[in-house]
Amino acid sequence: MTVDVLHLLHQAFFGAVAASGFGVLFNFGWRDLRWCATSGALALTIRTLGQNGGWSLEAATFAAAAAVGCGGRLLRARLGIANNALAVAGCIPMVPGFFAAQAIFGLFALTAPHPDNPSKLAVTTMEFALRVIFAAGAIGAGLSIVTHILRSPDA
Amino acid sequence: MNIVDSTKATPVPLNDPELEQIAMTTLLIGRQLMESGARAEVVHEDCSIVAHGFGAEHVDLRSGYASVDITVSRGANTITRTMEVGPHGVDHRVSHALRDLVRRVQQGNLTPSEALAKATGLKRDTPHFAPSLVALAAGIACAAFGRLLGLDWPAFLPVAAAGAIGQAVRQLMQRRLVNVFVIAACIAFLSSSLAGLGSHWAGSATVNVAMVASVLMLVPGVPAFNAQSDIMEGHPTLGAARGVCVIMLLTFIAIGVLLAQVLLGVQP
Repeated sequence: MTVDVLHLLHQAFFGAVAASGFGVLFNFGWRDLRWCATSGALALTIRTLGQNGGWSLEAATFAAAAAVGCGGRLLRARLGIANNALAVAGCIPMVPGFFAAQAIFGLFALTAPHPDNPSKLAVTTMEFALRVIFAAGAIGAGLSIVTHILRSPDA
Repeated sequence: MNIVDSTKATPVPLNDPELEQIAMTTLLIGRQLMESGARAEVVHEDCSIVAHGFGAEHVDLRSGYASVDITVSRGANTITRTMEVGPHGVDHRVSHALRDLVRRVQQGNLTPSEALAKATGLKRDTPHFAPSLVALAAGIACAAFGRLLGLDWPAFLPVAAAGAIGQAVRQLMQRRLVNVFVIAACIAFLSSSLAGLGSHWAGSATVNVAMVASVLMLVPGVPAFNAQSDIMEGHPTLGAARGVCVIMLLTFIAIGVLLAQVLLGVQP
């Protein structure tokens, strides 16, 4: 596996920025924003490493979500009750919003009066829609499985 | 089969006013937890802790998307109450403060009336970031998200600015209690148009990505996770309702972006 370190740092940095930006939007306290950033950086680092290793986007996303969920659990004593919320904040930069938009645009295009090459359009739209379902499912499953296996009274 | 004739049933007078207060305090905490982005299981667990902490012997809770219902019993008395739930948002500090309140009730440190007073003022008393800071953070988050999607550098600042302006207008519309789906479509159109124009003027080769990236603060990520968790944890009705709302929101966001793309002549 070859790792482009610059690309990895780029993904981790912007994952951290996006997660902490959403942390402000979700009204995390100042103290917790650094943990949002850490969580986002960890998620994007693992997802990028997974993709570099030849994994599909969905498999890499699942691993990243599970790792962030585990990280939150392991640091529970330090982070207090916020651990699950922090894991969710870290996973926000992996939400397939772009794919969702492309899938809906594809559906709109398919229903136009005279679409160009409707078969190809249908396949592309289906591909985007499936990516949304599987990527969102991978995040949800990664977080939920960890939450249930490493269950605590304040979950 | 026994069929009860309700017309002949004897009404039971409420002789436990404290039970009423327990039910309403528990419902208020449950409602605020839902409005601040908690999963159904957390709402159910915390409401059960609160009601039992105040001395209820039996508690049943039903959480719907727009209301929560509770039945609490103590001795021979049973009451059922319902409370509407407002727009579902995400507010971590309110959620944290509510769970702290629940722990204090569990430890026996609060009476129902004290807890009710604290829960009533909790949203008002919890600190929030200045709206301008939230708008700026949302803009930067959109631009950072855009970089993860392949946005080029010339489009970075236009996307951040468009996202920030969109978030600022969104806050104004939320204060005016505009419908959440209408807000999504309007803000998607505004932010996407601004990002498209800005990135085009800046010489970006990724105008299409810029137009989508600028609206990513609208994507309901937490409700999507909550929908999955609720279904997995035995609350399929609430989970399905959340899922439908997520799909509706995404559709309205896409309509806004699509209109902007048609206006600017950008191919989706």
